[in-house]
Amino acid sequence: VRQKFYSTVWVAVLALVYLDFPIRVGTAAICAHGQECHAPSLADLFDRVIQQSSRVHGISSELHSDYEQYFFPSKNHIGKRKCHTYSILTPADKENAQRLGREELTEVILRLLGAWGDPLSQLHRSMTQDQNQDFNHYSSNKALEMSDMVHELRSGVTKVAEKMKLLGVISNALGYMSSPESLAPSSVSSSYERGDFNSIDHHDLLYCFRRDSNKVKNYLRILKCTTLPELDC
Amino acid sequence: MRRAVGVVYLNLHSFLFFHVLSLCLGYSPPGKPKLTSCRSPEKETFTCWWEPGSDGGLPTTYALYYRKENSDAVYECPDYHTAGENSCFFNKNDTSIWVNYNITVVATNALGSNFSDPVDVDVVYIVQPHTPENVTVTVMEDKDGPFLRVSWEPPRKADTRSGWITLIYELRVKLEGEEEWEEHRAGQQKMFNIFSLRSGGMYLVQVRCKPDHGFWSEWSSTTYIKVPDYFPRETSVWILIAVFSAFIFFILTWILNLKSNSVKHCLLPPVPGPKIKGFDKQLLKNGRSEEVFSALVVPGFPPTTSSDCEDLLVEYLEVYTPEEQELILEEGKDLQEGCLKSKGSPSDSDSGRGSCDSHTLLMEKCGEGEGKEEKHQERAQKGKRQQKHQTGWEEGDVSHTREDVLSPDMSEGRVKTWPSVFSPLPQYSSRPLDHQGSLETARQLCLSDSLFPPPSTSSHLSYNAKEGLALGSGQQEFYLGKKQTHPSNPQSQPRWHLQAHSDFNISSMDRKQAASGLQLPGFRSTEYVEVQRVNQEDMVILQPLFSSSCQRDGHLQIGQGEDYSKVKGVDSGNMLLLQREVEVKREEEDGDRYSCDIQDRVTESCYTTSTAASSQVTGKPTSCAGTAMPVQEEMVLAANGYVDAATMLL
Repeated sequence: VRQKFYSTVWVAVLALVYLDFPIRVGTAAICAHGQECHAPSLADLFDRVIQQSSRVHGISSELHSDYEQYFFPSKNHIGKRKCHTYSILTPADKENAQRLGREELTEVILRLLGAWGDPLSQLHRSMTQDQNQDFNHYSSNKALEMSDMVHELRSGVTKVAEKMKLLGVISNALGYMSSPESLAPSSVSSSYERGDFNSIDHHDLLYCFRRDSNKVKNYLRILKCTTLPELDC
Repeated sequence: MRRAVGVVYLNLHSFLFFHVLSLCLGYSPPGKPKLTSCRSPEKETFTCWWEPGSDGGLPTTYALYYRKENSDAVYECPDYHTAGENSCFFNKNDTSIWVNYNITVVATNALGSNFSDPVDVDVVYIVQPHTPENVTVTVMEDKDGPFLRVSWEPPRKADTRSGWITLIYELRVKLEGEEEWEEHRAGQQKMFNIFSLRSGGMYLVQVRCKPDHGFWSEWSSTTYIKVPDYFPRETSVWILIAVFSAFIFFILTWILNLKSNSVKHCLLPPVPGPKIKGFDKQLLKNGRSEEVFSALVVPGFPPTTSSDCEDLLVEYLEVYTPEEQELILEEGKDLQEGCLKSKGSPSDSDSGRGSCDSHTLLMEKCGEGEGKEEKHQERAQKGKRQQKHQTGWEEGDVSHTREDVLSPDMSEGRVKTWPSVFSPLPQYSSRPLDHQGSLETARQLCLSDSLFPPPSTSSHLSYNAKEGLALGSGQQEFYLGKKQTHPSNPQSQPRWHLQAHSDFNISSMDRKQAASGLQLPGFRSTEYVEVQRVNQEDMVILQPLFSSSCQRDGHLQIGQGEDYSKVKGVDSGNMLLLQREVEVKREEEDGDRYSCDIQDRVTESCYTTSTAASSQVTGKPTSCAGTAMPVQEEMVLAANGYVDAATMLL
């Protein structure tokens, strides 16, 4: 009986091992190049991107509130902060946002997303290194997730922009696409790159990022509703 | 100059006077105002409300000041009235999203002012829209029944069309009269269906909304809707199920009723009551234990030793070890429990003796097989002789003794079977040289103490055992030849062999001579026989040895060469006629040899009783009450084939 059990286990293990390969390998593209493929529509792309941005904003809100509860129980303790994306001009109300136009709006979105790539990674690194607190251990995972999602979101928005260009929705006059990295103000980001973060820096960073993710989400929605007004707007 | 100083002095005095007067009158500077909340209905404007502190008894004014993020400019509230008392309304121009407002309220009265705690506000997080509008509920029909369709519109001011604000909705429903609302999330859609309605019920519906990061709006005003009457499908299903269950229930009840007894027996097994014979519960209840217990006493139990002793000893198997015991086998299964008698148990006068006691018994019990008289005779002879031989005999299969023809009479009620010793075992015919068979026949030979008075027997036997002369062969076994050639036994059926270990001593008594019958001398004379050889016919040739004389009233001296009576013939009355001869050696049939023994034994056993008339030996040494045989006959053949030595003596 024992031998049967072992052999069964061995077979199961083998099956799992062999089954794993197809899972990894089998993610081939449904359609190859040149074939008539059903690419996701702009509406689908928008939906995905907006969902992703919403998720990013949610995580950033959670992290920020966690920080506030953990480190700064007193409410409304907002120090003299200056977000490093301060230099990026963003519309602060609806009229300004509507006045901006699709291309600029897209550009602003991409700028913002680009400006946050590195600081988020640094935040994650800093949180993992700061081992003296359980809070950081729990939150560093969220920071990592946030960082990854921002990168994905950025690539997604890029795809949306390309699609829009393809559809002729927006013109090709977008210089931002080529060099997104240069827009981040170096002076501020350098302080992040120095890597000397502390909890207060974390808190400020999270505050800034929460706001910027909200901006991104909002701008994307505006972009969608102005481009595709028939859906859910 | 003097006037200025005077004016200043006056002002100061009035001021101080006023203050002192105020303090004396209980006035105080205003209390600290408090910003309660700031809300924006559409993310384009917002309003802040504060709570004034104590006014100190004096008219107090409030002012709201704010600072925008990253700017040091302080602005005052642009609109104190639009939003009502103690509020500040920020219109679109003054509202910036994603900008941190630092707001402070100042309360001022004649005695002083008081600043509230500053509050940081980001408009994007304080959005609380208005309630949804145009909530409409309609009843629609479906194949499953009617359902409610609720639809609404976003609040007017919230600009969801441009995507500036995204709202999610929630509605709640309840029946009129109920307390609990049933809430449903509708997401971003502006329509919702409600199913599973109660027919004819009146429903209340409310809707509210919330931006993705903000506060819930208020519930909209209630919308009433009445569901028309209809027959729900579910009820019919339930009715069917109920009927079915009832049906099954009735069937089960009926079955239970039928089998109530067995069910009762199964579930509640009857408790066994006491079943003690003679036990009276009433007596016990009455508390008289003596009576109860005395009632339990059954007369006759336990059995006393005096009575039925013999009954208990019926059918016992006597087993003798080669050295000291004689093996007595009984018939069939009776032999199994048969008397196991050790030679050295003289105290038990009954043991062993019952079965093997007397040849008379054996004779009486000669039950089986008529054509075995000769054999009986021979057996009797041999048996008696071999009683002493048995000391050396081994036990073999007792089962073979089954066919014992002879069975001792139950005259005394004791002995069951005896004769097996002397009975030819038919099965042995096929195995003339079967050791086992011979062994068993040997076993069957109840040559035991039984024929002798116990002490004498035992001693005799022991003596026999010890003095057994070594046979020529080391084996110390001898075969008692077949009776095949016995003249009196034309049928050659039984072959029986006796196998004996060690020497055997045949004691013979020469009391046979007593013509008077059974008057036996008190002495015991033992005669010994040694095996001379075994002839080719499987006959043991015995040679008498005389360690003690086989005296027979002095008549006969059994010495070397003396011969014993041989079988003359068989009487018609099944009596073995024996004849004594004096010969040294003779090839005789075995039966002859034992005549003396038998006689001796008989005489011995009858010694104690010494009935002249009867020379039969019974199983009991104490009484020679065997079957009385007429003395005049020379030979008496017991029913079992045993020979009455007494008669033979004649």
